[in-house]
Amino acid sequence: MKFVLFQRDQGIVNRTLPMLSALLCVVASVVPLHLPGFAEVAPGFVLMAVFHWSIYRPDLMPFLAVFLAGLCLDLLNGAPLGLSSLVFLISRAVILSQRKVFVGRSFAVVWAGFVALVAAAEALEWAIASALNTMAIDPRPFLFQAVLTVALYPVVSYLLARVQRNLLMRA
Amino acid sequence: MRERSGSVSRLTVPVRAAAQRVAFPFLIFLSVALIVLGKADILVIERARTSVSDAMAPLLEALSRPLGTVATGVQGVEDHFGVYAENGRLREENARLLQWQEVARRLQTENAELRALLNFNPEGVRGFLTGRVIANSGGAFLRNVLVDVGAHEGVERGQAAITGEGIVGRVTEVGERASRVLLVTDLNSRIPVVLDLSRERAVLAGDNTSRPRLLYLPAKTGVKVGDRVVTSGSGGIFPPGLPVGVVASVEGGVVRVEPYASLSRLEYLRIVDFGLNGVLPQSSIPPPRSPRQSRRGQVEAEGQ
Repeated sequence: MKFVLFQRDQGIVNRTLPMLSALLCVVASVVPLHLPGFAEVAPGFVLMAVFHWSIYRPDLMPFLAVFLAGLCLDLLNGAPLGLSSLVFLISRAVILSQRKVFVGRSFAVVWAGFVALVAAAEALEWAIASALNTMAIDPRPFLFQAVLTVALYPVVSYLLARVQRNLLMRA
Repeated sequence: MRERSGSVSRLTVPVRAAAQRVAFPFLIFLSVALIVLGKADILVIERARTSVSDAMAPLLEALSRPLGTVATGVQGVEDHFGVYAENGRLREENARLLQWQEVARRLQTENAELRALLNFNPEGVRGFLTGRVIANSGGAFLRNVLVDVGAHEGVERGQAAITGEGIVGRVTEVGERASRVLLVTDLNSRIPVVLDLSRERAVLAGDNTSRPRLLYLPAKTGVKVGDRVVTSGSGGIFPPGLPVGVVASVEGGVVRVEPYASLSRLEYLRIVDFGLNGVLPQSSIPPPRSPRQSRRGQVEAEGQ
């Protein structure tokens, strides 16, 4: 008997769409915007995607997908390889454990949870980056990135929800 | 997930659940291992980085063009509001610059005469390439950009990246189609410089802020705000005399330099081959193929 690894009701579309959205977020993070003063730091689009899919369809974005998304982001950013992967993996684990709090609740609750996650993720990234460079890096860019990420989450969340509702096959 | 009938799906669900439980610690370990290995500067990682940059380069190039147009549009709106004041400022600057032009012309003739006297052979620019910035590293502690020229056009590691205003950084990774330039404001950037007038040597060290610091200045230094900073040529990294920036603050014993180049608005960079190898080791990355003559020494055709 053939050993079927994937359940038959989930097509290729289902499996690749969340990963594709994460990759799009990776590209969006590095495209130069030339906005005065903002060009230094990009919002954490990938973290938004990881957060959204981990809450609503964790089966479509397993740990490996999250790890690969982090790898792509680091490779394009020129960051130490594995840094973003680590942050995203831990984020997903934390979100999974708290999933019941968010599923089915209002957007405000989800957004508040996202704020907490971003704060923790940026703090973790700052800590690892400081350790790697053996000096306390100025935390202000991390703070600014956190604020930017939180501010843009509603837009990205809306887009991802539309994708989820319209393009994913029901499972 | 819907319940499915059939023994096969009953098999797969626990397998996948178990796989997920194992995946997390394994991937965490892999990430930490990669971070640690990355510190060792392994060639494989650099190759992976350049491969990904090369693969994404066409997409990034396509994306950054319309966004460049948007940025120009935004800039245009901004400019519109300050037209009157800008006009007055430009008139003053023009008058000053005309005076400098006179001085420069006199010095140029004098320079040429003195060089002729000494039979001086200047090390010249061997060639330059113009590249467009296609990606801005968006990390909170990274300051580098991707440009759309690579080994195919003759870019080599260690080459200088400049704009018309001053130096921007150095090429650190070279792929076939894209290269990464480390900006002077990055944490890892160290550039030997010298104060233009007092000739005191120092090192320009980036620290992730928009104003890199000057390290290793002599203790009794006479540096003041407004002093011009240029490259010193030490270590063969950059040739001497390239404009770097101007001293912006001297508070608390820390001297900060405001770079001439506007690093947050980079769109086109010039990658210059001064024929220097500097301190970046000639790694075992295969040397680029002979550069195409048609792109060398090309005057900037695309401009703002």
